[in-house]
Amino acid sequence: MQAKRTRKTFTASLKTVAAALACATASFAAHGAPATPSEIKIGTLFASSGPFAVASLGQYEGLKFWAAQVNKDGGAFIKAYNKKIPVKIVAYDDQSSTATATTLYNQLITQDKVDVLVSDFGSVLTSVAVPLAAEHKMLLIDPTGSGANFFTQKTDYLADVSIPSSTVWPIPLANFLLQQKIKRVAIVYDANDFDASQAETMKAELTKGGVAPVFYKSVPTTESNYNVLLHTAKASNPQALLEFGYPPNDIAFLRSLSQSGLHFDMTFTIFPGQLLDLLKKNVGVKSLAYTYTYPTPPLVKYDKVTYGMNTADFVSAFNTSEKKQPNFLDASGYNTGIVVQKMLEDSPNFTQKDFHQALMDMSDKTTTLLGLFKINENGAQLGQPFPVAQLVPNAKGDDLSVNVVYPEDHATAKPVFPAPKQ
Amino acid sequence: MELLAYAVVGGILYGIFFTLVGLGLNLLFGVMRIINLAHGQFIVLGGYLAWIITTRLGFNPLWSIPVSVLCAIVIGWPLYRAVVPRLQRSDDPEMLSFILFFGIGQMLTAVTMLLFGADQRSLPEDALGSGSLGVLGQQFPDSWWWAAGVSLAALALLWLYFSRTRLGYATRAVMAERDEAVATGIDVRRVSTIAFVAGLALAGIAGVFVPYLLGSVSPDLGDGLTTTAFAIVIIGSLGNPLGTIVGGLVFGLGTMLMQTYYSSWSNVVPYALLLIIVLIRPSGLLGKAVRLA
Repeated sequence: MQAKRTRKTFTASLKTVAAALACATASFAAHGAPATPSEIKIGTLFASSGPFAVASLGQYEGLKFWAAQVNKDGGAFIKAYNKKIPVKIVAYDDQSSTATATTLYNQLITQDKVDVLVSDFGSVLTSVAVPLAAEHKMLLIDPTGSGANFFTQKTDYLADVSIPSSTVWPIPLANFLLQQKIKRVAIVYDANDFDASQAETMKAELTKGGVAPVFYKSVPTTESNYNVLLHTAKASNPQALLEFGYPPNDIAFLRSLSQSGLHFDMTFTIFPGQLLDLLKKNVGVKSLAYTYTYPTPPLVKYDKVTYGMNTADFVSAFNTSEKKQPNFLDASGYNTGIVVQKMLEDSPNFTQKDFHQALMDMSDKTTTLLGLFKINENGAQLGQPFPVAQLVPNAKGDDLSVNVVYPEDHATAKPVFPAPKQ
Repeated sequence: MELLAYAVVGGILYGIFFTLVGLGLNLLFGVMRIINLAHGQFIVLGGYLAWIITTRLGFNPLWSIPVSVLCAIVIGWPLYRAVVPRLQRSDDPEMLSFILFFGIGQMLTAVTMLLFGADQRSLPEDALGSGSLGVLGQQFPDSWWWAAGVSLAALALLWLYFSRTRLGYATRAVMAERDEAVATGIDVRRVSTIAFVAGLALAGIAGVFVPYLLGSVSPDLGDGLTTTAFAIVIIGSLGNPLGTIVGGLVFGLGTMLMQTYYSSWSNVVPYALLLIIVLIRPSGLLGKAVRLA
């Protein structure tokens, strides 16, 4: 009887030990495996005021639109966790100030510990994020910072996703000028990395084609009065006048040109192709008539995409959701989200290096609403080249059509050159 | 030579407009020793007023000039009553006004942003005439002539006020020696109220032309305009309205000549001139010569 009880007690003890061991093993396993996050934090900045506000808010709205679309579908599929997880945008207002942006990027990385870091609009506000991200070994998803000096060396911590590096922007334009046999070119550019790198590329490409600019001057980025400069440029008797600036510069430049009574056979500015409504509102259809620009989606459309909505579907969905027509910056914000989504979907591990590798693997194989996604090892975007378009007034003269004039395989019309006097 | 002529005439027109930009700031300092760091924001409000009157109500932008004056009275009088007596009781009214008006300026920027958004706003180019007028064989847009003309008219009115009215004499007395003016029975409070409202009105009138001369108006433009106005006033002479004319013309000519010959340095002009003047003649070009210890 005693022996039976002893065996029973021993068996019970053995079961208890086994259960305890099982619990301990389970607990250890639970601690060893990475915990699945309840949400993926996308950290970004936007500018509600200052010179970059209009463009920055557009980009931010596009990114938020993407997050809303993804979350409506249960979240983004994260390969590392083999499940869909909702995304959350953590965003702060840098008010177009690089000093504020530096503090806030730091906060996103060190305090909020965001999973994906997306920079604010443009080269100026991205410039402070590039070294910070590298220092913290964080991949910086750069939607529209295309300044040439960001992409001078190999890096795992920078990827330009929604806009080509500014050094390649003017190549089709330079080719167009050479094709049109325009020999006298005047260039006015803002003294910042984004515009200066375009001016330098343009000068170099023209020089390669045997054309030396007859006028090549920089102005401060804050320049708001181009009257005297236009007369100075006119004195060099150019056939084409190219102005590389930000939207406030383009507006001031085109207004000054219109007020001056001067006429150039060809005038080019950057932002009508990105923010046509803003420019029409501030400059007027008449002043924009027959000028040239880089047309961007949604003004040009990509139908055959391999990931996300195509350009037309995006325009329709954005219009339905936000009750307004999207511009390029809305599209670039959405495209940033799409690229991040594909990156998370493909990355086998949830680490910054794996994210970068996923982007490199996507490169040259993925087409989105902005065109081919193609980055080099320095993080520069080389896909999505901008064609050249001319803004041509309709018969009534109250609106403009965007006629792509170069390259020929994208062209929808022949250029009207020289531009008729308005 | 043609370019030089263009730069000089353009610089004079531009300079006359910037005289108007600096005038209100200088008047306030002259009469009350107040440095209005919200001056640029009041100019921006004038710009938005012109935008509403032109694009929303369909009137000529020049109608916003009388409306600006009316708004200056409606806003300026209670603001004066709320703020200025407290400032003048302080031991250091200049420094306190610096801080207080900086705060008011930032608040105005934020409110403007909430009301109008961050977008730039511009006025239809042909609202002030779509042609141009020539001088010395150079053509300048109509809007430039309007800006210079209205600025000159404002200057002439101010001159008449100072030289032909009893209140103007009293204002000059307060500007010259406040304590003695009080002792002789001048109603300093009345003079100050008028000067305060006039300063805001001049800012509002200048704002009407900002969308033309600076391309557009936006909420963040205020700080830069205050800095430029401050530089112009210092170049001419702080507290002396006549000095503002000299400061404005020096600024306008300097900017245009630099834009013609060294364009990338044109925005440095106000600050470079400010530094030179402060080092060589701290009281400004029309100020009394003083020696720094």
